[in-house]
Amino acid sequence: MVAPDALRVVRCGGSTLRGARAVFSADSKYLLCASGDFVKVYSVNTEETLRLMGGHADLVTGIQLNPHNHMQLYSSSLDGTIKLWDYMDGILIKTFTVGSQLLALSTLASAEDSVFVVIPKKGERDTFQLVSVKLTKGAGQDLESKELSVVLDGVGASMKHIAFGREGAYVVSVKGMNLQVYFFKRKLLNRFSLSTLKTKGGDNRFSCVVCHPTEDCIATGHADGKIRLWRNFHHKKEYTYSTLHWHHDIVMDLAFSMEGTRLLSGGVESVLVQWHNESSCQKDFLPRLGSPIEYISMSSDGALCCTLHTDNRITIINSNLRFSRSIQGLIKSRDVKTGLVVDPRTKALVLNGEPGHLQFYSLQSDQQLFSLDIVQRQYIHEAGLKQSDLVKVAFSARGTWLATVEESEEVTDPELQLKLWFYHEEAQSFQLNTRINTPHDNHITDMCFRDMDELGEDSLILVTTGRDCVFKVWVMVEDTDPEAQQNVSWTCDFVGSYHNYQATNCCFSEDGSLLAVSFEETVTVWDSLTWDLKCTFCHPPGNIRKICFGRLTCSKYLIGATDYGFLCCWNLLTCALEWSAHLNVVVLQPDPVSEHIAAVSWLSKESSLFVFKPNEPRPIYIQRNLCKDKILLAAFVPRDEPEMTSSKKYLWLRKSQLFFLTDTQELMTLSTKSLEERLTPSNKQLAVEESLPVTPFSLLLGKHRHQQAQEDVDLGKPVVHNKQEQASPAVKELLHTPAHVLPSASFLCTIFINSLLISKENKSAEEVADEVEMESEKAEDESDEEDVTAMEQEDTSHMELLGETTCKLSKSQEKELRKIRKMDYSWISAF
Amino acid sequence: MAAPPCAFSPRGCRLFASSGPDGRLRVWDTAGSRLQHEYVPSAHLSAACTCLAWGPAGARQPPSKDGPQRKKRKSEVGEVDKQLDILAIGTAVGSILLYSTVKGELQSKLDGGHDSRVNCVRWHQDSCCLYSCSDDKHIVEWNTQTCKVKCKWKGDNSSVTCLCISPDGKMLLSAGRTIKLWDLETKEVYRHFTGHATSVSSLMFTTVKPMNESKPFDGITGLYFLSGAIHDRLLSVWQIRSDRKEKNAVMSFSVTDEPTFVDLTVSEVKEEPVKLAVVCRDGQLHLFEHILNGYCKKPLTSNCTIQIATPGNDGDSTPKPVPILAAAFCTDKQSLLLVYGNTLQPIIEKVSLNTSESHICLVRDIQKVLSLKTDAALTKVKTPVVNSDTKVLVPGIPGHSTAVKTPASGKEKKKKKRKPGETEESIEERLGALDIDVSKVKTPGGLPQTDSFAVLLVQGLESNDAEILNKVLNTRKENIVKNTVARMPIHAVIPLLHELTKRLQGNPYSASVMVRWLKSVFTLHASYLSTLPDLIPRLGMLYQLMESRVKTLQKLCRLHGRLFILVTQVAASQTVQDVPEVNQTAKLVYEDDSSEEEGSDDEMIADKDSDENWDEDEEKEEQSDEQDMTVEKEINGDSDLEPENESEEE
Repeated sequence: MVAPDALRVVRCGGSTLRGARAVFSADSKYLLCASGDFVKVYSVNTEETLRLMGGHADLVTGIQLNPHNHMQLYSSSLDGTIKLWDYMDGILIKTFTVGSQLLALSTLASAEDSVFVVIPKKGERDTFQLVSVKLTKGAGQDLESKELSVVLDGVGASMKHIAFGREGAYVVSVKGMNLQVYFFKRKLLNRFSLSTLKTKGGDNRFSCVVCHPTEDCIATGHADGKIRLWRNFHHKKEYTYSTLHWHHDIVMDLAFSMEGTRLLSGGVESVLVQWHNESSCQKDFLPRLGSPIEYISMSSDGALCCTLHTDNRITIINSNLRFSRSIQGLIKSRDVKTGLVVDPRTKALVLNGEPGHLQFYSLQSDQQLFSLDIVQRQYIHEAGLKQSDLVKVAFSARGTWLATVEESEEVTDPELQLKLWFYHEEAQSFQLNTRINTPHDNHITDMCFRDMDELGEDSLILVTTGRDCVFKVWVMVEDTDPEAQQNVSWTCDFVGSYHNYQATNCCFSEDGSLLAVSFEETVTVWDSLTWDLKCTFCHPPGNIRKICFGRLTCSKYLIGATDYGFLCCWNLLTCALEWSAHLNVVVLQPDPVSEHIAAVSWLSKESSLFVFKPNEPRPIYIQRNLCKDKILLAAFVPRDEPEMTSSKKYLWLRKSQLFFLTDTQELMTLSTKSLEERLTPSNKQLAVEESLPVTPFSLLLGKHRHQQAQEDVDLGKPVVHNKQEQASPAVKELLHTPAHVLPSASFLCTIFINSLLISKENKSAEEVADEVEMESEKAEDESDEEDVTAMEQEDTSHMELLGETTCKLSKSQEKELRKIRKMDYSWISAF
Repeated sequence: MAAPPCAFSPRGCRLFASSGPDGRLRVWDTAGSRLQHEYVPSAHLSAACTCLAWGPAGARQPPSKDGPQRKKRKSEVGEVDKQLDILAIGTAVGSILLYSTVKGELQSKLDGGHDSRVNCVRWHQDSCCLYSCSDDKHIVEWNTQTCKVKCKWKGDNSSVTCLCISPDGKMLLSAGRTIKLWDLETKEVYRHFTGHATSVSSLMFTTVKPMNESKPFDGITGLYFLSGAIHDRLLSVWQIRSDRKEKNAVMSFSVTDEPTFVDLTVSEVKEEPVKLAVVCRDGQLHLFEHILNGYCKKPLTSNCTIQIATPGNDGDSTPKPVPILAAAFCTDKQSLLLVYGNTLQPIIEKVSLNTSESHICLVRDIQKVLSLKTDAALTKVKTPVVNSDTKVLVPGIPGHSTAVKTPASGKEKKKKKRKPGETEESIEERLGALDIDVSKVKTPGGLPQTDSFAVLLVQGLESNDAEILNKVLNTRKENIVKNTVARMPIHAVIPLLHELTKRLQGNPYSASVMVRWLKSVFTLHASYLSTLPDLIPRLGMLYQLMESRVKTLQKLCRLHGRLFILVTQVAASQTVQDVPEVNQTAKLVYEDDSSEEEGSDDEMIADKDSDENWDEDEEKEEQSDEQDMTVEKEINGDSDLEPENESEEE
């Protein structure tokens, strides 16, 4: 390893999958998604990430298969480039630099070597135009494509708002109340707009648009939940539309099936609706998809469709509206109120998931383990409805107890519930032990367990602090009630307050003997045995934002960060300020296995990381400009095995790993390894050639074909195309005849064998063969090449005889064959 | 029938592949104990899976032989490839399938090597070679890139049952009945090891480099390996020695039954013990920890045995053992992944090791675990168990809160913890003296008095008779209450107060009746109560109860007012037909949610229909005047209580 390797900030947890519509590969085996700066290839069968294609410098905004080569993929990004990939091998083929930000991408089969992108209009904010980019042909990998031609002006910024019609004859765009259709051939632009007055109180802005694949029909979704099907829009006046209405809120996306017989729609209700026939209004539903649907896409064979959800999930759905698979990244909830907590049992990161759920995210395998439904209430989407959500989570040291606080969203008068869950080993699940309604009269600001491994369960204490100016101490007691099945439950043991200040933070010292509770400007330290106030610290002005105790050798220190940008370290033995530093700390996180403490500051629009030991005021490690986003939360996660690092600078990263969550909900970590090294474990690949044995039937067919081809090569003649086709008429007929009109298999068998033997016949059978050929030909295509092919056939048999050294049939066999051949199978030609 | 083949994926055991008796290959996610996917080989019934092997953990990119142009492009870009986790599946008919667990499809089929059952497949660590052995006595080396047989040689006189590749990748151990060490370059036998009476079922190297670094000339001498055989309760450890004296096993581990699955942590330093986990046919797991150095005659017994059993407390009373199917050490070498239960639906659990105990029995309720797991199959949402007997603490219930201690008054007594039993006992002692008083009360007048229940009440309190107490305490007549309280003996006051507190905590409806009693107790016996030294702890609970009840009063009033407006408006709209719109959208939804509060509120005011007036409606004031008064009195009663407490605190 090279010594001066810099610490790199690495994203993990998968970026948002919501950048663009997902695309199925041509064979529906793989699913391609834009995921942050990457394009990901998932296997539809196993939900696993097959490939991660990186190269874009900014968010990927659109992906489309190359219409001329289904193994290639175009991707566009905000960094102004279009890249062409071979997604099966993960190879970047070409990069086209366009120059301006690309917000969406589309391709058309009819448009030779050009793609359509949405770019912001120069000089005007928030107006976008659809342009077609001519992809320059060149030898190099990096090419410039500046040849833009504007197709439409004033379009929406997303691909949802633009759709290409049947065979690329026209393009439709919606924005606000307007629908515009541009016909490429006629160079005609039709505009339609909905009047605002038409609907009473409803908001009928357009939200998305798709075009019917075979008919001239446009489907638009609206903000009031209606779907309109537009027809006859070639005329400005005589257009018609019909309305489908099921959704009660905005229609987020629409998709037509490949034949256009079905229309899929989805919205915030998390229900996928399948409309069969616009006239009969027959529809099917797939409810309870979990979270609002953002995008819908269909596979080209119509067997699968997939929905992208706002919570960073992809659901793959069968054609008969059944769940097939779901690919889940880190759920991005609106606000991570619980903080980043590590579950000691699974070593997973625990944070808010879907509303009311707690997600367990495995950092080792970078995937979601499961999400725990804590609130256990049906989530109903309704604007203005107050939902309860989890705000605080704490685990006991061994993970046997889990404390959760849920509160409804009301600001003034929250409905609070503190739940204590016990991990039931027998059932391998958490079990509710005690539910406490309204533990505090106002919001709970912090919660912590006394973490003492060695003292066992008796020492377990939970402390909650609230804005109602008290902190409460909860202890476990034996249940006196003999009827109760549980033998322990939780009760309040002590309520403390300090001059009627709001309690903001709490924290236990490492040995559990001291409890520090911060009340606005003051930190109070309490004896955890007698609940006596031991001492107070404060560093005015400014409220205490975070507090934590030092660990191991530094356990005599208490660290606090204030609102006014001071980081203070108090000595608990002398009760004096040891040192203080001017630093606007937003995150203060002690490492559970060492004495290091990480502080993240937020100053002049950048986050910086400081790692220090409390006993020495000089930080061990400083990284300025960690990332551009504001870091909200951090967590140290102990490693399974200590990482070997040569550099002394990064010793603090040996035993545990530091994770951050930014305000854009990106999970990041620090890595000492260089890019290649980090990728190596997953980069290992066994190159195994695909060599699948063919099925007996295809083997039969293949051999036959192969033989034929071989013959042609042997003859050294140019292969006449239709000859090969006619060579196996019986087989062909067999394959093309509907099953219900086929005669019995025993009857077919002879014909089949017959047809296979044709090429090996000798002269005596020639006429028969000719007859066969003639007949089948007539039946098949009645081409005018009859004579030619017949002639050729004759030739071949001649040549065969000359060159043939293969097995000769015995007399009796020949006889039998002839008999078979003479059987009448002209029934085939009847079809 | 041997145990169904199963294997953990290398690099942290993220996946577990197992092939059941139905011939289907299932891949499980070990972290979530979730079925990842299932693969049904086309000939799963005729050619059942006999052995499994995951692709090597640290395979280097194989040197490009075929398709050099493709490889070149790949290296140019430096592309990120997710590993292709290949699973090699040996079948009963002699073919080997290579299955990609990432793509979920068959990658290739290796045919033509064996014409009988494949017993073992092993990947070479570095090159992408695959070794397989079969009942047809041969060992085959495969090139997986071309799917061709690279080399095939006769391995034994009988069927070859097991293979293992040496840590440096240059030697191969094979075993039928005798164990042979082959040089992979020359395909010649390097050493023989004999000792097993039956065919060997497992082979494994326990060390990666020789313990004494002096002679690394062939890279293999000095290494230890482990072997287990069918129907053999001993696992043998062999050492490859330079002096060719390897007649017998160096040492052996004894287990309770034939070993079916073996995993070990390879020790890299001399001092580090080898940890061995052996799963036996009887479903037990044995853990060994031993530093390998030289001979040991006696078979070693396990340091720790792990068993799993059902709790067996409901229905069938006897706990049933749950077989462990496989076990693997996690990367930290401290915890184990256990696979147990049914082969078709195993449960995978991570257990941290605690070798101080020699026998561990884990109690697991398989049925419950499986029933909880089924929900998580697709959505990954787990629902934790919520039983009806969960303890619920609401404001007012003891244990929800205690008296606020501010540091200012911190010098006072600290530990009066909630122990409801304590005070009651002391009361009963007092009640012992009660008999005399009661008889006194009874005797003097001789005349039956009907305007008080004093005697009855004291009797009830004394005997704790719920029937008598109900009868007495449910009296609504103000006079009788007053008289009773006035005439009751002074020592019965505290028991009465406790009884009242208990009843106040219960049904909110009865609370309104109890308040009258409380009020008269406090007005008539205030002087006695104030003499009690431990009044605060005694009445603390009552005080908190009152406080929490009063706290919600404002909210309830507000709610009540809203409800009243709503109800009257609905009524009005029913009478007047053409009132256009009733506000019933969001508010209705909201009120439905908080139905609990509503209910309690309704009960509280159930008997007073005119109670509504007390918020905003002034019209019907007259008829509800009386009722208002009672509520006010309730509040007064509470405020009566407070000064008393405070006076005691001083």
